Amino acid sequence: MKKLGFKIWLFIIVFLLAMVSIFVSSNGIAFFQKGVLITGIEQNSSAFEQGLRQGQIITSLNGNIINNLTDFSNYIQEKFPSEEEVKLVITTKEASAVLYSNNAPDITVSSIPKTSLKTGLDLAGGARAIIGAEGVELTGQEATDLSDIIENRINYYGLKDIKISPFSDLSGNNYIRIEIAGATPKDLESMIESQGKFEAKIGNETVFIGGERDVASVCRNDATCARIESCQQDSSGSYYCKFIFTIYLSEDAARRHANITGDMEVNSTNPEYLSKPLDLYLDDSLVETLLINKDLKGQVTTQIAISGSGSGTTEEEAYDSAEANMHNLQTILITGSFPYQLKVLKLDVISPNLGSNFTKAILIAGLVALISVALVVFIKYRKIKQSLAVLCMGLSEIIITLGVAAFLNINLDLSAIAGILAAIGTVVNDQIVMLDEAKRRDTDSSIKARIKKAFEIIVGAYLTLVAAMIPLYIVGGGLLKGFASTTIIGLTLGILITRPAFGEVLKRMED
Amino acid sequence: MEQNQETHKKNWQDKHYKNLLLIPIVLLLFSLVYLGIFYSQHNDIFLKDISLTGGTSVTINGKLDITLLENELVKEFGEVNIRKVSDLITGEQLATIVETTASSEDTKAFLEEYLGYELNEENSSFEFSESSFTRDLYRQLILALLLAFLLMTIVVFILFRNFVPSLTVVFAVLMDIIMTIAVIDILGIKISTGGIIALLMLIGYSVDTDILLTNRILKRHEGTLNEKIKGAFKTGITMTLTSLFAVVASLLVVKSFSAILTQIFLIISIGLLFDIVNTWITNVSILKWYVNKKENHT
Repeated sequence: MKKLGFKIWLFIIVFLLAMVSIFVSSNGIAFFQKGVLITGIEQNSSAFEQGLRQGQIITSLNGNIINNLTDFSNYIQEKFPSEEEVKLVITTKEASAVLYSNNAPDITVSSIPKTSLKTGLDLAGGARAIIGAEGVELTGQEATDLSDIIENRINYYGLKDIKISPFSDLSGNNYIRIEIAGATPKDLESMIESQGKFEAKIGNETVFIGGERDVASVCRNDATCARIESCQQDSSGSYYCKFIFTIYLSEDAARRHANITGDMEVNSTNPEYLSKPLDLYLDDSLVETLLINKDLKGQVTTQIAISGSGSGTTEEEAYDSAEANMHNLQTILITGSFPYQLKVLKLDVISPNLGSNFTKAILIAGLVALISVALVVFIKYRKIKQSLAVLCMGLSEIIITLGVAAFLNINLDLSAIAGILAAIGTVVNDQIVMLDEAKRRDTDSSIKARIKKAFEIIVGAYLTLVAAMIPLYIVGGGLLKGFASTTIIGLTLGILITRPAFGEVLKRMED
Repeated sequence: MEQNQETHKKNWQDKHYKNLLLIPIVLLLFSLVYLGIFYSQHNDIFLKDISLTGGTSVTINGKLDITLLENELVKEFGEVNIRKVSDLITGEQLATIVETTASSEDTKAFLEEYLGYELNEENSSFEFSESSFTRDLYRQLILALLLAFLLMTIVVFILFRNFVPSLTVVFAVLMDIIMTIAVIDILGIKISTGGIIALLMLIGYSVDTDILLTNRILKRHEGTLNEKIKGAFKTGITMTLTSLFAVVASLLVVKSFSAILTQIFLIISIGLLFDIVNTWITNVSILKWYVNKKENHT
């Protein structure tokens, strides 16, 4: 038996690395892992402070072993919500947190993925939005700034697992792309589309606006200064709930407040208050009118109570609505308004529920395609060894491409999968060229020379195909980048690794 | 006797290869005329689906009576598209896909009223594209297609450094694409972003065999011209047939499931069929003409 050549060793090593990249993660071999994966955790929650992080694996709750998602949700549903505080010990490999609460912990989890492959939006579910400014052509810098502002607002809003990035297209238009994996927040669209222009006015004069210039700090998540105050039913049967929270103005804004109120009269009908109220506008519509206590006249006061309300057909609904409105207003007061009215140009919200069916169909399609290729090869050449070699090389090329995709964190969406299929088609074509060159008997050139000739053709085809893929990188906001990436990766690895190895195999078969 | 037939066949090929060019020329002329008429009627060479015109696509998970829903939708929105997604093996309906040119709110509101329940991410998917954005996307995809073609042309010219053969390869690919687009239009297919991707893939697939042929004819020294063509044909047709088999097999699998992949595979199948004509008639004939002429000169 001749020793294996360098090219075959290289192929074997790359193949093994690809398997490692697909099946082994920092947590070990995912296939054998038990537990549930933390996908989201609130930054300033007690669990976070005690060391729990996104990406860790929960192995037990209060000492009960958690094997999978069902175990986890069964245990949580059994314990929460409860009348009294429940002690909950969450254990991961890295940390252990002890929580006391009436409600389920604010942690989102999922089952541990079996591989490191990341499926894209159209298979795994989630949301993707492409955003532009209404009536304005954004420059590259403006898009970058805007994407920072959006990110800031979204972070304050407490949404997790979101990727935001500016991008430009071939004609130089600039946009912002937002991607959310898994569950989609219900109010994503309204949050983006509301510019969040907050103004507090007395008469026509602006006292302060949202954002850090005027608003020094906002009380949040603290029931002593931010809460739902009262709920009432009105004559028509609807419920209203009122919220109130405290904000602290900057020196400048407080002085402005003093100057404006200094000239004001006391209200004649209601002498406790000043003649004009403080009107709160959100995106140019009046949301709340606050009466100003007469004692505040001309005072440099930094502390102001902001109130508002929410309504609903039931008390619970009104409460939730008030809470959401408060949250929204707090976020806007902290982060300020977007410099433009934003416009959602594309919004895809994909249910994760059909994905598994879809993945199954694609796997079957791939398998059927490979088998039919092997069949055609067998019918043509009547050689079981060669047909098997073509089949094996095809399969290993898929695995190597997937391995690199996992390593580079490429999301495998439908277009990326189509790209892998395109690359496979080329693998097979190239191998046929090589098989035919190898078996040519009409020349006296060596097998080595013949394989070299085959490579001339293969490299030529490779270069044209890669050239054809390059424009896709910059087109359409990278919506088709997945396709171009997987095709180019597949083809390049093919030409560098699998094709030379296949050439070696052919030489050995000939010898 | 056999020998006779062989020489007779060869003579026939050698005599008539120029006439054979009539087949692709007629196909090309027909395609161009058809596309011209099509363009004058639609102001574009494609019919586009909502991924390129803007609108909303909703996937409602679960079983639903399509015809009933379609009637109601047509009353409300005019032009709509509706189709089923079914399980690959059991054929059971898994979901319904509705496409309208309306906004996502309007479509959602109407569907919720019709269905009598709220649509959320558990039971449905929404894809909305604004029309100005998709118009731009379409323009760019066409641009990408042209750029891809241009880059491919440059690479081919660098590869062969020989004007007529390089131009022939590029021309054969171009004819593939034009004929494929004509068939897409004849079949009334509304092209999606996936369809444009398919045309890009087609550039790659069709250029493969042309490069094989040109390389064998120009860069090999052993054997006669006809032998070289025959050798290239044997390899090339196997390549095209395996691709075609694989693509058609995949097409049958994904047909009930994904409209995008179905369209991609359908377009590639059509293109591969034309590739057989354009490589083994168009490209072969012109190349043969070119080589013969050159040999006569020397």
